[in-house]
Amino acid sequence: MLEIAPMKLSAADLALPAEALVADGVQLALADDYARFSLRARDAAILEGLLGRKLPAKIGETLDGVACLGPDEWLALLPAGTALPLGEGLPVSVTDISSRALGFVVEGPRAVELITSGCPLDVAKFPIGRGTRTVFETVEIVVWRTAEARFHIEVWRSFAPWLWHALAAAA
Amino acid sequence: MSGYRLSVGGRINRAAPLSFTFDGKAYQGLEGDSLASALLASGVMLFGRSFKYHRPRGILGMGSEEPNALMTVERGPARMTPNLRAPSVALHAGLAAKSQNRFPTLRRDLTAVNDTLSAFFPAGFYNKTFMWPRAAWESVYEPIIRRLAGLGDSPTTRDPDHYGATYAHCDVLVVGAGPAGIAAAVEAAATGGRVILIDEQEEPGGGALADPAQWADLAASLAALNAADNVQILSRTTAIGHYHQNFVVAVERLTDHLAPTDAKGAREKLWRIRAGRVVLAQGAIERPLVFDGNDIPGVMLASAARTAALRYGVAVGRSVIVMAVHDSGWRDALALMAAGVTVSTIIDLRQDVAAELVDAARGAGIAVHLGCAVTSARGRLGISSITYAPGGTVDERAIACDALLMAGGWTPTVHLWSHAKGTLRWDGAWGAYLPDTTHEVMTCVGGCGGAWDYGSGLALGTLPSAKPLHKRKGFVDFQNDVKARDIGLAVQEGFRSIEHIKRYTTNGMATDQGKTSNLNGLQIASDVLSRPVTEIGLTTFRPPYTPQTFGALLGHHKEALFQPLRKTAIDDWARDHGAVYENVAQWRRARYFPRGAEDMDAAVLRECLAVRDSVGMFDASTLGKIEVVGPDAAEFLNRLYTNPWKSLAPGRCRYGLLLREEGFIMDDGVAGRMAPDRFHVTTTTGGAARVLNMMEDYLQTEWSDLDVWLTSATEQWAVIAVQGPKARDVIAGLVSGIDLSREAFPHMAVREGHICGVPTRLFRVSFTGELGFEVNVPAQHGRMVWEAIHAAGQPYDITPYGTEAMHVLRAEKGFIIIGQDTDGTITPEDAGMAWAIGQKKPDFVGKRSLARPDLVAQGRKQLVGLLTEDGTHVLEEGAQIVADPDQPVPMTMIGHVTSAYLSPALGRSIALALVADGRARMGETLYVPMPGGVIRAVVTGPVFYDAEGSRLDA
Repeated sequence: MLEIAPMKLSAADLALPAEALVADGVQLALADDYARFSLRARDAAILEGLLGRKLPAKIGETLDGVACLGPDEWLALLPAGTALPLGEGLPVSVTDISSRALGFVVEGPRAVELITSGCPLDVAKFPIGRGTRTVFETVEIVVWRTAEARFHIEVWRSFAPWLWHALAAAA
Repeated sequence: MSGYRLSVGGRINRAAPLSFTFDGKAYQGLEGDSLASALLASGVMLFGRSFKYHRPRGILGMGSEEPNALMTVERGPARMTPNLRAPSVALHAGLAAKSQNRFPTLRRDLTAVNDTLSAFFPAGFYNKTFMWPRAAWESVYEPIIRRLAGLGDSPTTRDPDHYGATYAHCDVLVVGAGPAGIAAAVEAAATGGRVILIDEQEEPGGGALADPAQWADLAASLAALNAADNVQILSRTTAIGHYHQNFVVAVERLTDHLAPTDAKGAREKLWRIRAGRVVLAQGAIERPLVFDGNDIPGVMLASAARTAALRYGVAVGRSVIVMAVHDSGWRDALALMAAGVTVSTIIDLRQDVAAELVDAARGAGIAVHLGCAVTSARGRLGISSITYAPGGTVDERAIACDALLMAGGWTPTVHLWSHAKGTLRWDGAWGAYLPDTTHEVMTCVGGCGGAWDYGSGLALGTLPSAKPLHKRKGFVDFQNDVKARDIGLAVQEGFRSIEHIKRYTTNGMATDQGKTSNLNGLQIASDVLSRPVTEIGLTTFRPPYTPQTFGALLGHHKEALFQPLRKTAIDDWARDHGAVYENVAQWRRARYFPRGAEDMDAAVLRECLAVRDSVGMFDASTLGKIEVVGPDAAEFLNRLYTNPWKSLAPGRCRYGLLLREEGFIMDDGVAGRMAPDRFHVTTTTGGAARVLNMMEDYLQTEWSDLDVWLTSATEQWAVIAVQGPKARDVIAGLVSGIDLSREAFPHMAVREGHICGVPTRLFRVSFTGELGFEVNVPAQHGRMVWEAIHAAGQPYDITPYGTEAMHVLRAEKGFIIIGQDTDGTITPEDAGMAWAIGQKKPDFVGKRSLARPDLVAQGRKQLVGLLTEDGTHVLEEGAQIVADPDQPVPMTMIGHVTSAYLSPALGRSIALALVADGRARMGETLYVPMPGGVIRAVVTGPVFYDAEGSRLDA
C-alpha cells in the first residue's frame, strides 16, 4: 500500500476569512447583510400589488434590488431588516430567506475573468444590472452585475467557504 | 549514433545551449529544441522499449502522434510525469528524462525475451492463455503481465502542483495554428468578433514551422493577430474534446516547458470554450508503411525527418533512404537535400511518379528505384541496412543506411470533427476518411478538411512482400505492438467488424488512439477480407485527443477544493468541544462528543443516558427544509405524501411519509402547518435535494393547476434539538411569546415566537422518545442560540450529543432511518407504518402500486426487532438471517439486520431487522451465522422503549 501524505489543508479547514482578499486586478469581499426574499407568483401583477413595487419582467433583469430568476420567480435583496407582507390567501409565495445565503462582492478589472473561471455563462456580455442564477463549478450561485467592474454573488451559506477559497485560488 | 546537428537552419537558438539528462547521461541541446530533436541531434536513436515485446524503438513522428518515444520526466520530488511523448516535450535547462518499460537499462533490456518469443504472443494471447486456474488471475498472472507490459510508473506522492480552469466564450474558435488555421483566424478577426486560436505546439505555425519559405508570412500573420485586441492565441494548448453545441475543452500547459525553478503558478489550465463557430485546422498525420523491421530505430516518417531538419536543424542520419508511395516523400527528400541532409535513395512502389519529382531527385544526385518496395529493414538498436525488391518480390537487393523515411500518404485529423458527431466520407484519392456533414456550426480547413496539397499517392495496407501475411513482422500499431499478421489472425478467427478487430488485436487502443495505425489497420482488414474499406467500418474517435493529467481535468477541484464540505452554523462550536465528525451527504455532522479518554461507545452511552435522564442538545440543522406556500399547499402535500394534510390545523405538525411511484418509501420527515397556506416541511439530510426535485417535477409536469410554490429553506434555519425530561425547563427562560405548557403546546405542535431575542419557529417534536423541542432560528443566529441553550442547561448538566446517540435513541423507539432500515424496496406496510397512510385519501404518489399483487403478497420482508439471547452481543448491521442454521450451504436467507446498537436504556443490545413475514414470527428464534459462530436472536416488535409513548407527552 502506498502511503499518501495527508493534505496540508483539507476541506474541513476552509472557513470564511475576516478580511477581504486583494489580488492583482480584483478583490473579493463579503457583502453587507441583506433581507432576502424568494417571491413567487404566476401573475406578477398580484405580487406587485401586494408589495407595492414593480418587478422586473424578464429573466435576468433586475429592478430596485429584485432580480427575475425564472418565469414565476424573483429574488429580492433589500436593506437588512426589511419586512414584506406574506400575502396570506393570495396565489403568491413570499418567503424570508435572509439567512439562507451570503453575499460576496467581486470588484476590479479582472472581476469578469475571475467569475468566468468557474461560471459557464458569458459574464463579459452581462449588461450592468443583469442578475441571474447559475453555477460556479458545482455550486449554485446568483451573479448580479452591479457596475462595470463589480459583481454581487449570492451563495448558500454552507457553500460559501468553498466558493470563497475556489475564487481565491483562481484570483 | 547517426543523427547530428546541421551547421545551419532551423528555428533553434544556437547561442543558447541547454544541458539536460536522459537516463542519467548528460546531453546538450539548444533553446527551441524538443526533447526528441535534442536527442536526435546528439546521435540518439533508441528512445524506448515497446509495450508488449520490449522491442527497441526510436522516433516515428515529430508531433503528438508519436507512439514510441514515451518518456518519464522528473521535475523534482513528487513531480514525475510518465508517458510524455518526446517530440512534445519542450527542452529546458536541467530537464531530466528517463526511458520506460525496460529492465535493467534501455540498451540491455532482459524482458525483451518477449520479442524472441513473439510468435507465441499473438493477438488474444493473454485472454486465451491465462484463463485457468481462475484464482491465479489476480494474484499471479495480472501482476506479472502488468509489470512486463507497461507504460511508465505512476507518481507515488501527493502532487504539489495546482491547476487552473476557466470557461471562455468566442465567436470563432480556431483549433490548430498551421497556415490554414492562421488564415482562418485572420479572416475571423477581421469581422470584429472574439476569436480564440489554440495550438498544441510550443509556438504557432504548425507545418509551416518546417518550411522556411513560409516563415516570413507566418511572422507577419502572427504579428497581426497578436496586435488585434479581439484575438487570443493559446499556444501549448491541446483541444482534447469537442462536445455538443460547439463546446470545446482544451488543456493549456503553463509551466512544464520551464525549468522547475522558473515555474510559478498553476501548472496547467483547463479551458472550457463555447464558440459560435468552430474552425478545425488540425492538419493531417503521415501514415507509416508496413514491412518487416518498420519499427527499428531510425525508421521514421518522412515528415518527421523534415521537421527535424528544417525546424530543429537536425539531420536524422548521414545516409538516408526514402520509401515512398506518395509524392510528399519526394518533396521531403528534396527539402532534406536542400537543407544539407544526404538522401541516398528514393524507392517508390509506383511506376508512374511525376516527372518533375523524378528529375529533381536525380538532379540532386539521389538514386531512384521506381516500382520497388522495401522488403525489410535490418539492425537491432538502430537501422543499418534495408533490402528492397521490384514489386516486393524475392529479387532483393540490400543498401546500407542509417535512416529510412516512410512516406505512406496522409490521414486528415478528424478527431474533433468526429467527437462532435460530424460524419465522414471515404475519399479514394486520400485513402482516408474526410469530414462530410455536421449539425454543428463547424468547418474543417486545410489538411484535416482534405484541402491541402500533399501531392498524390497510393493507400496501402502493407508493402508488397513475397512472404505470406502470417510470417511478416511489420508493425501496424507501434504503441500496442500490433502486427499486420495479428489483424489477419483476427479475421481468421471470425472477426469482421473493425470495432471487433480493434478490440481483439488492440490496434489503435493505445494512448495515441491509433493516430498512425487506424487507417493501415483498416486497409489490412479490407485486404484480408477482400471487401472495400467502407464496408469494414470505422472505429469511434473519443476524447481526449492526447493523454492528459488528472490535475488538468480536476482544475479547481483538487484536495481541499475537491468538493464542498458543508458545515452548519454550530459546527465551529462542536469542533471547539472536541466533536468527532462523520460525513452525511455533503455535510459533516458531529457524531459524538468524547470527554477525556472516552471512546465512541462510552461517549454514546453517556450521551444517551443524559437525554433519557435529564436533557441533551443536538445540532439538527442539516435536515432538509422546504417551505411549501400557496393556496393549494395542503392539496399539494395531500397528493404527494401518504398522510392526510388537509385536516391538519395551523400550529400542528404531522409525520409525513413519501413514496416513489412504485410504492416504496423514499423519504420522511415532519411538516408543520405555519398558516393555512404555508407548511414548513422537513426531509432527511441526504434526501433534501431529491425530495425538492421530485416535488418540483410533479408540480411542473403533473399538477401545474396547483397554486403552490416551493422554496428550499434548509440553509435558512439552524435547528437545535433539545431533548429530555428537562427540555422544557432549559428553554423556558429563553423563549418569549410562546406558552410552553403541556396543554398549550402539545406534542406535534409548532409555534412562532422569539428565543434569545431572535425569531423562532419552535417545534415540539421528538426523534428520541423524550419530551423534545426543535428550535429553528435564522442560521446567522444559530451559534448564539446554541450557546445560550447550553448555558441555560448547565443546572441540568445539558449534554451535547451527536448523530450516533441520536441513532441509538431512535432505534430504542423503533423509529426508522430512511436508507438504513429501508433500502428502496420497502413499503409502508413492510415497515409497519400502515398507520401513516391516509386510508380515505383518493390518491397519493405510490398509492396504486401499493395494491400490486407482489406488494401485498406473503413473504415480504417486514421490519421487526431482534433481541440476541446474549444481551452483550451486538449484531452486525447487514448480517444475514436464516431460520435454520443447520441447513446446507447456500442457506436460504430470510432477512438482514438493518440497525444494531447497545441500548443504554435497556442495558442490553437491540437490533432492527427486515425479515420475511417478520411480524408473524414474534417470539421465534432466528439465527445469524457469523464467522465466529451462529448467533441466536428472538424476534420482537421494533419498539424497545416506552412503547406507550408516555414520555413524549410529558
